[in-house]
Amino acid sequence: MPTQGDGITAARALSNQSSRGGYNVMEGETAMTTRTTDPDSPPLGLAAPANSAAPRVVAAVDMGASAIRLVVAELRPGEPPRILEQASRGVLLGKDTFTHGRIGPATLEATLKALEGFRRIMDTYGVVHYRAIATSAVREAANRDGFLDRVRLRTGLDVEVVDGSEENRLSYVAVREALAGHEAMTTGETLLAEVGGGSADLSFLRAGEPVHSGTYPLGAIRLRQSLASWHGSHEHRVRLLRRHIHNIVEDIAREMPLAQARHFIALGGDVRFAAARLNPDARDAALQTVTREAFLALCDEMTVRDVDDLVENEHLPLAQAETLVPALLAYRELLCETAAERLTVVDTSLRAGLLIDLAREEAGHGIDDFGPQVLASAAALGEKYRFDARHARNVAHLAVRLFDEMRGEHGLANRDRLLLEVAALLHDIGNFVSLRGHHKHSLYLISSSEIFGLSQEEMAFVANVARYHRRAMPQRSHLGYAALDRQDRVTVDKLAALLRLANALDADHLQKVVDLRVERGDEAWLIEVDGAGDLTIERLVAQARSDLFSEVFGRRVTLREAAGPI
Amino acid sequence: MKPATRSRRREPELFLNRELSWLAFNQRVLEEATDATNPVMERLKFATIVASNLDEFFMVRVAALRHRVAEGDLTRDLAGLTSLQQLEQVAVRAHEMAERLYATFTDEILSALAQQGLRIQPFAELEDAERAALSRYFHAEVMPALTPLAADESHPFPMLAGLSLNLALLLEPGAGEDQPRLALVQVPARLPRLVHVPGASGTRFVLLESVVRAELAALFPGQTVRTSAAFRMTRDAEMEFDDEGGRDYVAALEEELRKRRRGQVVRLEIEAGADALLLRLLAERIDVGPSDTYRVNGPLDLKAFLSIVELPAFAALRDPPLKPVTVFVPQKAEEFFGLIEDHDVLLAHPYEAFDPVVAFVTRAAEDPDVLAIKMTLYRTSGDSPIVRALSDAAERGKQVTVLVELMARFDEQSNILWARRLEEAGGHVIYGIRGLKTHAKIALVVRRGRQGIRRYVHLGTGNYNERTARLYGDCGLLTADPVVGEDASAFFNALTGYSDPPTMRKLVMAPAALRDRLLRLIDRERRRAEAGQAAAIRAKMNSLQDEDIIRALYDAARAGVRIRLNVRGICCLRPGLKGVSDGIEVVSIVDRFLEHARICHFHNGGDEEVFLSSADWMSRNLDRRIELLFPVEDADARRKVLTLLDAAFQDNAKGRWLQSDGTYKRHRPAKGEEVFRSQLHLHRVARQAAERARAPLTVEPLTSHETST
Repeated sequence: MPTQGDGITAARALSNQSSRGGYNVMEGETAMTTRTTDPDSPPLGLAAPANSAAPRVVAAVDMGASAIRLVVAELRPGEPPRILEQASRGVLLGKDTFTHGRIGPATLEATLKALEGFRRIMDTYGVVHYRAIATSAVREAANRDGFLDRVRLRTGLDVEVVDGSEENRLSYVAVREALAGHEAMTTGETLLAEVGGGSADLSFLRAGEPVHSGTYPLGAIRLRQSLASWHGSHEHRVRLLRRHIHNIVEDIAREMPLAQARHFIALGGDVRFAAARLNPDARDAALQTVTREAFLALCDEMTVRDVDDLVENEHLPLAQAETLVPALLAYRELLCETAAERLTVVDTSLRAGLLIDLAREEAGHGIDDFGPQVLASAAALGEKYRFDARHARNVAHLAVRLFDEMRGEHGLANRDRLLLEVAALLHDIGNFVSLRGHHKHSLYLISSSEIFGLSQEEMAFVANVARYHRRAMPQRSHLGYAALDRQDRVTVDKLAALLRLANALDADHLQKVVDLRVERGDEAWLIEVDGAGDLTIERLVAQARSDLFSEVFGRRVTLREAAGPI
Repeated sequence: MKPATRSRRREPELFLNRELSWLAFNQRVLEEATDATNPVMERLKFATIVASNLDEFFMVRVAALRHRVAEGDLTRDLAGLTSLQQLEQVAVRAHEMAERLYATFTDEILSALAQQGLRIQPFAELEDAERAALSRYFHAEVMPALTPLAADESHPFPMLAGLSLNLALLLEPGAGEDQPRLALVQVPARLPRLVHVPGASGTRFVLLESVVRAELAALFPGQTVRTSAAFRMTRDAEMEFDDEGGRDYVAALEEELRKRRRGQVVRLEIEAGADALLLRLLAERIDVGPSDTYRVNGPLDLKAFLSIVELPAFAALRDPPLKPVTVFVPQKAEEFFGLIEDHDVLLAHPYEAFDPVVAFVTRAAEDPDVLAIKMTLYRTSGDSPIVRALSDAAERGKQVTVLVELMARFDEQSNILWARRLEEAGGHVIYGIRGLKTHAKIALVVRRGRQGIRRYVHLGTGNYNERTARLYGDCGLLTADPVVGEDASAFFNALTGYSDPPTMRKLVMAPAALRDRLLRLIDRERRRAEAGQAAAIRAKMNSLQDEDIIRALYDAARAGVRIRLNVRGICCLRPGLKGVSDGIEVVSIVDRFLEHARICHFHNGGDEEVFLSSADWMSRNLDRRIELLFPVEDADARRKVLTLLDAAFQDNAKGRWLQSDGTYKRHRPAKGEEVFRSQLHLHRVARQAAERARAPLTVEPLTSHETST
């Protein structure tokens, strides 16, 4: 079974990259070895498939705020994943976390029970390759580590906690596939929104590419919890809820140009319910369109109805009946901020995104790193803080050129190149706050921002690289730096060394240097720059800023102007 | 539309009472017993069925009515009757029925058998030598099993089992007493009720109670037996039966109530010649009034006579057997599953053999490519090939999931044993869902082929039971439809608790969605009729009792939908009411096989839809059972199903049409018209189709001479 074996090796290699998350391989591996040696007695739950050349079966698990869901799918090269089974168990993780800050024992037990069942479904197909993620309800629980440990011990499932930007990325991946060729994904500005239980994940797309993304406290369960703490009539409470949502949406509009969005793509069970209600004949369609007027009218109709009414007359499960109105109000306020004439409701989810990742991995492509989208989103963040775009882009270019030229020396991965590029784009955004100590402002602005496709950990990493573009060198006494693990500190040192040098090469902010080449001399790194104009200042600053470079790479730096274009 | 919560109008004139409708069904079975054109052994069989049906009816339905009367419950049923009124009417009918049954049994059936040399003899007619031999048998075999019981005022009344056969007797007063004393002897249930007269050719019998009666003196030494009589009590069973012999404990019954009901006697049957004083004393002791006392002119408990129906020597007195037509099943799993992939396979039992269904599980168990087998099992015995195959499959490491519905709360160990064995083999056994009985019949096979995972599903209207599949008219569908497969997986995930109830695309599940779907389908025809389109509904089922459904059918009929129903048993819908149900026709067929399939067919403006289901249109099936409704989409399979439906409405031999007063009338063939007996017709059609077919597992349609709707 060559493909299977390779898959496992690749998966293991990936899962060793701790900070990126990655794929999980079940403990069934040993069982599979057993199977090869003794094909007649497969272990329980892993019946020996005689057709080993058959397509691989993978699984994705998603632990959300109100339910834990499973999808099992078969992967065929060049085809979209074929869904075999979907299962869902209502487990109110969000109710625990958003009210008490931690997951209680009853909910833990319900989680374990649900996952044991899922594990059994996965075993039907001998699934060894899967990805299980948990979102805000687990992410924000104070006892999340213990919780996940229990999950692993009881069910053998390794669950990875993902942050909002990963959620956004997965949703985007799923939507890009589901809406391939759709005008909302090819032209103009589009808001992609999913109001979940814990938070709302929003991405703002330009010509189908995400330029802004963020996770906002608009989750329906969270909203519902605040609603529950207010007293008064249903109408009164809905009014308060509306105002609360409105305020949050106004904050979002300051970060994202919502008003420019001509398309509105909506994901999520609540908005799907609304679409099915408005288009009863197309309730199973993967894609539904709802006009703005019809949606607003439906929201008005639903908001006057209480939970009992919804359970009784709309046949909703209690948990969904409780969150329907807050969720619809959130979509409503967002829609009203945009210029979209209709709502495009897509029946897809994070799990579809996970499957697409798994399929890429299976096909040997590795996860899509979304480089262009990450950079577009980083540039949008730069614009927000009025960066000097030309300078930023020039530095970014020179930094990655250095990175590429030094590949044999630094031994870093492509992902690090992308992070360097982002850090280079954003290194000066602290100027927005104050020119004095602007590198420190850059540090916290980046740390507290979101960039599509980058995890929170990666953002912290990028912030550190950017922070060291100026005089100060990395030090253990710096809190942000000290918070990184050893491996990441070394990488920050290397990338900061490259960034400092690249930044120095545009000290005048005139983009005189357009390219460079690195040669290793006996005593120094010879950097041959290709540019026009007087490079005196650059040369001086470069000498000063090559301190870290020399320390990291062991030799001084000498700058030389190229005779002709490199 | 919000069908489930429509307001309840009281319109008793629109409905038939459920209990009386059931009695009318039993009356139709009785008709078969009285029908002199039926061979005598068949008549005997129908007589035993009538008797055992009545037993269950008293244990369950009459007991419940009596209980409600005792509690002072004055609510009225759909037909506007209080429980007391129902009890009164039931008693009148049941007495008539018992009289008719025994008149037929004693005067016609027994005498016809006697003419053929099969005699049930009174003790007095025997030769001395025969009596002596029976006396020896009594002392050796019977007496050790007997316990004479005193039943006079000074003793508590003995706890006799419901439906057991007993002798009551009066002992002459002893010294110092002025009243005869009541005593009892149980007739042992484990000994054959029909005792061969020794030395006779094996066709002369005496009843066990006669043997005991001849020897009463030995049981009461020193006392004089004045008189004796055989009797039987029917007790409150505190449960419900369904058409498949499964039992439901009355769920809503609280423990306290249950205690009060426990063991109450709801019927006393006693032989007609019983002494008046004996009867009075007995009736007083067990607290039974005259209307619940049935004086029976013949042997009690006719079920015992089933043992002679199959006597090999009397084949000429039975109908020639209708053997199921063999359906070819490929030996190789690969080919078998390949066939199902080529096209759906519809099986019409018992006209066609059940083998392909058994093969579906056994081939899957042997096939190394099969990953999982999941199925529901309702009332299955441990020695069935399906259960054995499941154990095999589990031992081979396949994932085996079985949802077992056990027959009763106090099921004997033997019944649970096979389920435990299956668990030991590694199978996952679920013993029912709390509060909901799993009545759906579905089997799922998950297989890894070269092209990837494929799912194969069997869906049926009858149980996975090879024995009843020879007697019950049922349908089953084998399909590889991927959507049905996905739904089937989702169904089992929900049943095993691995997932919350899913949204399904082709299967429809009760209790969640089935009622709504049926109402919507019926209502769609109504809307089409109102829009001036042709609209028609045809359906076949065992029982029709649910108020919402019946009202929806009335609404549809009023709008002009043509509605033809083939309801074998209870039907609370009243056809032929002017301006309400004059467009509705209801026919019941009682013949050699028990009609058991559930089919419905909607015209849908020409885009016809055909469904099969495990569910009757009764409230308990739609609200308190896990049931499935599934579409038949393959054109050939659909034609075959429609052939079954067509036949029912043409039956001018065993078809009885329900009248608006609740009675049933046959449509006898007109002069020159051929006799059309639907079950025989369908069997013939199946045989002809099989003969014509060369291809394995053919789905060549059973073509009747009229397949139009």
